[in-house]
Amino acid sequence: MDPALRPVTRLRSRWPAVALLAVVFVPLLAVVLLALQSLADGVAWQALWTAPQTPTALALTLWTGLVSTVLAWWISAWLLAQGFVRQGLSGMTRALPAMLATPHAALAIGLVFLVAPSGWLLRAASPWLTGFEFPPPWPTTQDPWGLGLIVALVLKEVPFLLWTAASQLQRDDVRRRWQAEHSLAQTLGYGPSQAWWRVIWPQLAPRLLWPLMAVLAYGLTVVDMALVIGPASPPTLAVLAWQWLQDADLAVNAQGAAAGGLLGLLVLVNGLVWWRTSRRRPRWPNGRRGRLPSAMELPHTKRPVPNRAWYALVLVYAAILLALAVGSVAGVWPFPRLLPEAWTLQAWLGVWASAGTVTDTLSLGLASSLLSLLWCVAWLELAPRRWDSALRPLLYLPLVLPGVFWVVGLYGLVLHLHWEGRWPGLLLAHTTLVLPYVLLALSPAYLGFDPRYRSLAASLGHGRWHFLWRVKWPLLRRALAASAAVGFAVSVAQYLPTLYVGAGRWNTVTTEAVTLAAGAQRSLTGAYAWLQFVLPVLGFALAAWVGRPRRFTVTA
Amino acid sequence: MNLNIHIRRLGSPQRTLVSDLKLEVPPGQVLTLMGPSGCGKSSVLAAIAGTLEAVAEGQSALGFEGQVLLGGQDVTRLPTARRGIGLIFQDDLLFAHLSVAENLLFAVPPGPIDVRKDQAEQALAEAGLAGYGDRDPATLSGGQRARVALMRALLARPRALLLDEPFSRLDAALRSQFRDFVFDHIRTAHIPAILVTHDHADISDPSRVVELAHAG
Repeated sequence: MDPALRPVTRLRSRWPAVALLAVVFVPLLAVVLLALQSLADGVAWQALWTAPQTPTALALTLWTGLVSTVLAWWISAWLLAQGFVRQGLSGMTRALPAMLATPHAALAIGLVFLVAPSGWLLRAASPWLTGFEFPPPWPTTQDPWGLGLIVALVLKEVPFLLWTAASQLQRDDVRRRWQAEHSLAQTLGYGPSQAWWRVIWPQLAPRLLWPLMAVLAYGLTVVDMALVIGPASPPTLAVLAWQWLQDADLAVNAQGAAAGGLLGLLVLVNGLVWWRTSRRRPRWPNGRRGRLPSAMELPHTKRPVPNRAWYALVLVYAAILLALAVGSVAGVWPFPRLLPEAWTLQAWLGVWASAGTVTDTLSLGLASSLLSLLWCVAWLELAPRRWDSALRPLLYLPLVLPGVFWVVGLYGLVLHLHWEGRWPGLLLAHTTLVLPYVLLALSPAYLGFDPRYRSLAASLGHGRWHFLWRVKWPLLRRALAASAAVGFAVSVAQYLPTLYVGAGRWNTVTTEAVTLAAGAQRSLTGAYAWLQFVLPVLGFALAAWVGRPRRFTVTA
Repeated sequence: MNLNIHIRRLGSPQRTLVSDLKLEVPPGQVLTLMGPSGCGKSSVLAAIAGTLEAVAEGQSALGFEGQVLLGGQDVTRLPTARRGIGLIFQDDLLFAHLSVAENLLFAVPPGPIDVRKDQAEQALAEAGLAGYGDRDPATLSGGQRARVALMRALLARPRALLLDEPFSRLDAALRSQFRDFVFDHIRTAHIPAILVTHDHADISDPSRVVELAHAG
């Protein structure tokens, strides 16, 4: 029999899949078990319960996490409504990649540069409007109510939700069907936006449940953003846990681990509550048509336009990135002046002098994203579909578990391997967190690949390797490159594992940026935060170049 | 209430699909619009219903110059929701997130819930689907879904009905059955209707057939 036609379901062909499984699941389960093990300490739970900061920290966590999630959810829904009704969705999705590439910490730092008492917003309004000659003593950054943190989280999560929603709305079959249903609802007497809220949104929302859970989990457990812009005394529970984990006292460490476990529980409970409420059946349609537009804009006079709120979001991102860039080259900059009096490259020279930080960031990012990509391709190629779908929840575990909980288990594993503070340990830490994202990014394209190509190649007498190298992977080049870039961006943005597993001996642009944000070195902070944004963007640009469509020299 | 349509030009800036087309349909009658694929039959319906932009998505926008008169009233500038022109698509397009009865209630004008529920029940009974109200639309057969889609369009009390190849997804036996069902309801509702089809068997009134040619 021709090797290409051999049935792929033979038991023999399962061994590679089993091996792949072992490579990832052994460390994954070890991390989870070690993290759980650290929770079996009654004294630590007692200490957590009686610690004076715990109640406030818990309340702040719930407040910032839930409010930011609810806001991000409804703002996204509203932007999507506008985009769908005015057919401006494709215009919106063009700007999304740059927003998605902005790491959380860089966004928070840039936002601080804007809203701080000596930030750009007040400079722009002083002294002509406010009368301030000096920065006012306002708590606009690290405000005790967590408002800054909420704004930062919303800014970061809205593009993510829009992106996942757009990937649903842009599937050809779904888009055509929903466009038709939207028209149909209008012929039944509903206005365009009523038709969206009653027909399209109720069908789209359930499909966004998992992205929403990721947003919720992130909002409740974020550390790096909260360190930069969140409340400080007391901080949110995740930051408190992180401070305890770094304490020299082992008992306090255990208390931190318990707080991480508590966060995990919070995510679980809140996720369940949200899931239950979202499953409530809609009421009987009451038939009310709402207010209808009086006259129609004729289609040919109308250009597809995203709305103003969307442009405002784009503008905020642009302002944040500009603030980081200007901040990184600012020398003397007395308060009400809009631009620095002196420009200096000192911060960038500083970055150059400690070039090891950048090369460590690059080496970790490249190695972890390429390893993850190799594993994901092998897994999607070799694992039976049933295994894959059954094991997905486990593979995605690192996405929903609180970072402070995860690093405890990671550190335990790395200690066993004697890799603490060493490059292989860091690589392991980064890869466990990068892999789920790469898998998430690669799956739709890889699993959606038309299986008939394989049969076609086989019918032409080509074996599996020939098919993979000459047909499948070249056709999927764009998706492969893009998922590697996603992985790289995730690795660059890692804060907790780099610091904790690296035992403080390794610095990446992210750890530098977050650490510096607490100090007064504005230009150096700006430089590292800017790098934090630039490196992933370069990654995506490279991916776009690698994945560019082939240009045919002869056109019809 | 007559439906009068005059399309001076329908097409993208580059390409004219239909030009100088006049249609007139008296109430209770069905005008059949035929022609080869891509000649713009569906776009004519979209222009009448005011849903052209949804058709045009992804391609260059289609524009329409002309007039749509319904019972003497010019509805050309009215938004789709105010026209009172129902549209039946090739797919039944029952909303997947609503039950069968809720799909019907979606179309019933606002009012006391009991009255509205009665109307939906009655429509179900007429479609031979009494007792199916709480079902998931996906569990219905193709013929049943098609009947629900028609009842839904009629429950909104349209002043005219457009049908875009509504029979093409049904097999031969169901097709003639559903065809009679549709034509009966149009007569009873006493509204003008335009039917787009490929199949000569779908013609209800041989004196009211318009053939569209391929516009070069």
